[in-house]
Amino acid sequence: MEDVLTENPPPSRFFQEDLNNFASPPPEPLPSPFIVFSNPKPELPLKPSLLIIALSSPSLHIFHSLPSKTLIGTLIIPELPFSGNTVEPSLQDKSCNIYSVSDNNNNNNNNNNAVLLVSVQLPVPPERSNLVSRLLVGQDIVPARVIILDSIQSRNFRGRLSPDEALAAKLETSSEKKAAATSRLSLDYFPSGSVIDGLSASLLSRCQLKNIRGTLVVSWPEFDPSVVRFLGALLKSIVPSLDIKSVDKDLEKYSSRTGLKRDAWLDSDLYT
Amino acid sequence: MEFVVEEGKRVHEECPTLILPALSIGNVGQLAVDLLVSSTAAERVGYLDDLNLLPCVGNDAYGPLPCGDLALPLEVYESSSTAITLAQQRSPVAKGMMIKFAENIAEFAASSGKKDVIVLSSLDFQRLHNLDLSRGPQVYYLSNTESDGRDDHCERLGFGRLGEFDSEGRCWKYLSSVFDKNSKEDLTFPSEDELEDIDYYPSLPFAALFSAFKARGLKVTCLLCYCSEGDNIPDAFLLAEAASKLTGLTPDKFHGEEGGKWRIPYSWKSMYGAPPDMSMF
Repeated sequence: MEDVLTENPPPSRFFQEDLNNFASPPPEPLPSPFIVFSNPKPELPLKPSLLIIALSSPSLHIFHSLPSKTLIGTLIIPELPFSGNTVEPSLQDKSCNIYSVSDNNNNNNNNNNAVLLVSVQLPVPPERSNLVSRLLVGQDIVPARVIILDSIQSRNFRGRLSPDEALAAKLETSSEKKAAATSRLSLDYFPSGSVIDGLSASLLSRCQLKNIRGTLVVSWPEFDPSVVRFLGALLKSIVPSLDIKSVDKDLEKYSSRTGLKRDAWLDSDLYT
Repeated sequence: MEFVVEEGKRVHEECPTLILPALSIGNVGQLAVDLLVSSTAAERVGYLDDLNLLPCVGNDAYGPLPCGDLALPLEVYESSSTAITLAQQRSPVAKGMMIKFAENIAEFAASSGKKDVIVLSSLDFQRLHNLDLSRGPQVYYLSNTESDGRDDHCERLGFGRLGEFDSEGRCWKYLSSVFDKNSKEDLTFPSEDELEDIDYYPSLPFAALFSAFKARGLKVTCLLCYCSEGDNIPDAFLLAEAASKLTGLTPDKFHGEEGGKWRIPYSWKSMYGAPPDMSMF
């Protein structure tokens, strides 16, 4: 049990370098992130009816377990090594793969009007998030609707988070709020006063600026079978044709002790 | 930096004054802008999109009850009754990109017809050398009206000129030269390892913004107060009050609580986290 007396308060203050005009800028401009598609001549931009982006561990587990998905591309962030990645996609990979899933409402087999899934298994640096989000929303891919799945970041959350109590909340763009109530996700709003940062924030901001229907779903705890079940049911309600049976089958392998943690991806650099 | 007008909104052309925060100790400038937006019932009219700004999102910060309106990192608010534009910044600038960011926001201000800019910022109390408690909390200022930073209007309002401003100082000169496209001086970027105590003020974000707006020919005034990190709400009130005096905002322009001037933003209710866990008692 955490010690309430010494538990660190949420950081709300700046580091000295945040306030220094003369902090050293990056030594060399880094090459921009880019997407490599399986089809060497894709018809860009892709225009899926729905783009679902998984950043949290539960959502990545679900995407990985889904059968009948087709790998159509991968997003490369040049400065992040992918040594140690396997030939076949794996949850241990440092990758950002893009998949297409069949949607029963779509009579076409092309990627327009399809549902695209993105599994973000890379630790995207905050200063690169804006470039990554532009690729995924509005540049190579122009989706009609976006759903982003991330975890609540305890460092930015002003309320109380219990390790025993699962919860989920959402933030929506204006376009999403105007959509028919039956098509929107029935979740409480993320409380005012707390913030979400990183890639998921950049993606949702991008949707807002581009007037795209966008919803960010944040869940807690970060590694919990109940969250996996909840997100599986949520995704099934959005895309009824998604086969999530295998997600439940693999759930016993998913636990807070043996589940994948983001730190594991960072630690693996020592051994490759 | 791109300005995106919010759907269904329009920019008021008669808002020549821009008030914005500079990132500073205790987030005081940002808290003061929160107060001004909330209390003048300013309406969001658009967003500023800049690659150098780190991303963040949240629920509506002002209320009266948060209804799920998305808050983005850099937003523009206007109130036609006050003829003031307020820009609120919620996240830091990427490391090493503050000068570029200042240049971009100065470009936005100039191209959107702003004439006066007020930058709200705080300073580290440990840097204050001459403490005069008899005058109460003091607001300091820096203006480009005179070359030494002085401005008659600010003096009449009782603000103290920032005595540490030295336009000939190494770092102040560097800031001036980097934003002035016509500058013929080729000054080297001051390495953060070489900075000394006197370089504290020009190293702060407010100094970059001051120099950038000045280079664009805008009248710029920085309002400053010394503080330490802690409960900085009183400091926010001090700066917000100073800004309202400087811009000549009369009490009827405010929509405060219970007939007063100020309305506390809804997001402040959880500023210092959840209440203590009573189960430990």
